[in-house]
Amino acid sequence: MLTEFGKILIFFILGAVFVAGGLIASWILRPNRPYPEKLRPYECGEEPVGNAWVRFNVRFYVIALIFLIFDVEVVFLFPWALVYRELGLFAFLEMAVFLLILIVGFAYVWVKGDLDWDKPKPVIPQVNRPIQSIDQPVVKSEPVTS
Amino acid sequence: MGLLDYKFENSNVFITSLENLLNWARLSSLFQMQFGLACCAIEMMAASASNFDIMRFGVIPRATPRQTDVMIVAGTVTLKMASRIKRLYDQMAEPRYVISMGSCSNCGGPYWEHGYHVLKGVDRVIPVDVYVPGCPPRPEALLEGIMKLQEKVRKESLAKKKQTA
Amino acid sequence: MTPQEIHETLKGKFGEAAVEAKLDALQPWIRIPPNKTRTIGAFLRDDPSLQFDFMMCLSGVDYNDGNLGVVYHLFSMIHKHKVVLRANCPKDNPHVQSVSEVWGTANWHEREAFDMFGIQFDEHPDLRRILCPDDYPGYPLRKDFKVPEFYNGMKVPY
Repeated sequence: MLTEFGKILIFFILGAVFVAGGLIASWILRPNRPYPEKLRPYECGEEPVGNAWVRFNVRFYVIALIFLIFDVEVVFLFPWALVYRELGLFAFLEMAVFLLILIVGFAYVWVKGDLDWDKPKPVIPQVNRPIQSIDQPVVKSEPVTS
Repeated sequence: MGLLDYKFENSNVFITSLENLLNWARLSSLFQMQFGLACCAIEMMAASASNFDIMRFGVIPRATPRQTDVMIVAGTVTLKMASRIKRLYDQMAEPRYVISMGSCSNCGGPYWEHGYHVLKGVDRVIPVDVYVPGCPPRPEALLEGIMKLQEKVRKESLAKKKQTA
Repeated sequence: MTPQEIHETLKGKFGEAAVEAKLDALQPWIRIPPNKTRTIGAFLRDDPSLQFDFMMCLSGVDYNDGNLGVVYHLFSMIHKHKVVLRANCPKDNPHVQSVSEVWGTANWHEREAFDMFGIQFDEHPDLRRILCPDDYPGYPLRKDFKVPEFYNGMKVPY
């Protein structure tokens, strides 16, 4: 009576109704009294200073791009794995060629250093005053020019 | 949008059950804004810890005022901090409540006479709902303050506040 | 070194600048002029027999007779001796030479003395209020300080 796709449609509609129902109910019930001080951006109690847009590192974009490529490769692997039994050696060799091309790309990305997550070097503070201990002979340091 | 907020002239049977539901939901999950300023903060931490545990009342600490219902001002309020408290109270979303914990935020505390930089009571900048006395109050006292606030929330209504003559 | 020897060494280098002293008090102190605190401090830090490399505290004082003062507590980690220095200045022109180049902790201690008493420290790299807000009227720990009625719209007294 109902196709398989029809059952998925019912599921989808019920999910949408559940979410929308919650949002609409709270829209009816909640108070809404905005005024300028309430709408200011939050900055731990201080007056907001400067732009809220921050430059963030390009390594996030690089990692996302690499993830996308290999995620699509995995999506192609799933249906191949389902029908692999019936297709035999030909399917195996075909997928091996596909994977080989992508492994070459993966090796390039690895060697180029796009998979590394750089950590900042620790900065050790330099003190330009000689620190003397009771065991060492006393060293006369440079006098402060008066 | 607040379709039902303060739209009714007086409570009728239609909305009392809705009010009961709303008030019960609000008082059982009063998210608190952790605002420990001085020694009362230690007692607030003790109240949040396992022996007295305000989390079983639904009081979970949140760091941002946008997600909180109650601000527990625990500790001495200096003049420098008072403007920040006002701004943070403004950034809380309704319905919002304030618990003033300890004698410094109630009335200036031990610094009432000579304090040159102490605000004598946080109610000079924000409206307070519950005052918890003590220096510092014991965690059970803070718990009682939270329960009194829950009683106050239980009596809230969606009807418009009557103008007192 | 005993306090007498420290005083002699200081007098030998600076002459009449470091004459007044009370060496039999609980904490023996030496008075120094306020315009020479950095030179004397540098000498005390660098001289091999003295080596006061740790400034324990720097406090401001209001003597209530028209004078403000600064008190330095010094300690030597190497020789394990202590000394106290006092520098006075008049209240209507309170200028003391800053020692923040000699001992790094003096930076914030002098900011506190400025905030509470109004003592101006010459050649300080960053002299501004540290505890009270930047627009607070007056210097709170002076003896003739009156609490302001209102600050930014808030009533201050009880």
